[in-house]
Amino acid sequence: MNVDDLAKAPLPTPPPMSAALEAAIVTLAPVAPRRPLRQLAILVGISVVYGAVVLALVHVRRDLSQIPMAWIVGAGLAWFVGFIVPAYLATVPAAGAIIPRWRAAAIVAAIVAVGFVIFGLTMPIPAGSLSDQFGWPRFLHGHTCLEIGLATALVPVVAGAIFLRGALPVGARWTAAALGAAGGCFGGCVLHFHCYITDHQHHGLVHGGVVVVAALLSAAIVPRAQRVA
Amino acid sequence: MAEPKDLMQRYVDGDALAFRELYTLMAPRLLGYLMKMARTRAAADDLLQQTFLKVHRARAAYIRGADPVPWIYAIAHRTFLDHARATKRAIVRVGDEDELPEVAAGLGGAPDGSSDEVPDPEALAAALAALGKLPEQQREAVVLVKLEGKSVAEAATIAGTSVGAMKVRAHRGYEALRKLLGGRA
Repeated sequence: MNVDDLAKAPLPTPPPMSAALEAAIVTLAPVAPRRPLRQLAILVGISVVYGAVVLALVHVRRDLSQIPMAWIVGAGLAWFVGFIVPAYLATVPAAGAIIPRWRAAAIVAAIVAVGFVIFGLTMPIPAGSLSDQFGWPRFLHGHTCLEIGLATALVPVVAGAIFLRGALPVGARWTAAALGAAGGCFGGCVLHFHCYITDHQHHGLVHGGVVVVAALLSAAIVPRAQRVA
Repeated sequence: MAEPKDLMQRYVDGDALAFRELYTLMAPRLLGYLMKMARTRAAADDLLQQTFLKVHRARAAYIRGADPVPWIYAIAHRTFLDHARATKRAIVRVGDEDELPEVAAGLGGAPDGSSDEVPDPEALAAALAALGKLPEQQREAVVLVKLEGKSVAEAATIAGTSVGAMKVRAHRGYEALRKLLGGRA
C-alpha cells in the first residue's frame, strides 16, 4: 500500500441525513444570497452618516478654515482610503469565491495601522489659531480622541461582522482585524476634522493608535460573535 | 448530476431537493476527507452532519455564481478543528489504532465503480496509521493535495493558509509518509 493506493480507495458511503438536517430543510425558505459590493456600499454609506453624526456631536474644529486646504483634503483622503481598501478586501471576495481575501486584507490592515502611526509621528502638522501641543507631559490627556475614534469605528466593524456572518470558516480573525483597521481609519478620518492637537506624539500614537487598537479589539471579539454555530 | 454551483443556487432559492442532491454529491467526498482526519467512522459521520448543518445555517453567505466546494470544505475543516480541540484529542494519537480497521473498511468497502480494485483493508489500515502519525498540518496537506486531489491553491483556501505554506506542508508530509511506508509512497 502506498499513498497512490490510498488516493484510489473508493469513496465511503455517507450516512443518510440526520434528523436535525432533515428537520432543517423541511421548511426551507429562500434566502437572499450575499451581494458583497452592495454590502460594501451599505457599510460605507451608514458609516459616513454615522461619522457625520459623531462629528456633529463632538464638533468640527473651529479653526479649520485656517488650515491649508491641501492638508485637509490630502490627509482626509488618506484616512478615507485607509478605511475603504481594507473594508473592500475584507468584504468582497475574488470572483467565483465565497471566502473573502482575508490574507490580503490582513496585510493591508497591518500596513495602514503601522503607516498611520508613522505618518502621525513624522509628518509636519499645520496649526490653526486654536491648535495646542500636548507633547509627552500631557500625552495621556489626549485619550478622548482614542474614545471618539473607537466609537466611530464601531459601526463599520459591526456592519462588516453582520454582513460576513457564515462567510468565514477560515481567516475570521484576520478579516476581523482588517475590518477593525478599516473602522479605525474611519475614526481617524473623523478625528482629522475634529482634533486641534498638533503634536506628533498625539497624532501618531493616539490617532494612529485608534487603527491599531480597533484592529486588535475587532480581531479578539468579532470572530466569536461572527461564527455560525 | 448537476454542478455544486447550480445546486447551491437552487438551494438558497428554497429548493430542498437541490440540498438533497448537493448532499448526495458532496457527502462521500467530505466523509472521505473527514475519515482520514478524524480517524473514526463515528466521529466522521457526526462531523459530516455538523458540516451540512453549518452550511445550511450559513447559506445566506453564498454568493450567486461562486463555487461552493472550497467553502464547504473549509467549513468541514473548521468543524473538524473545533471537534479536535473540544475533545482534546490529538489527531495523531497512535493509541487510536483500534479504530483504523473500521475506517479502512469504510474507505475500501464500498466501491462506487470508480476504482477497478478494492484495496486490502489491512494495507489500508496500515497506510492510515502512517498518515495518522504525521503532524496535523502535514496530514491535512497530504489528505487535501495528494488524496483528495485538490490543487495547492484550493487546499490553501480550505485550510486557511498561504499557497507557499501549503506546498511546503504537502511536500514534507508526503516525504514523511513515504518514509513511514518504507519508501513505497
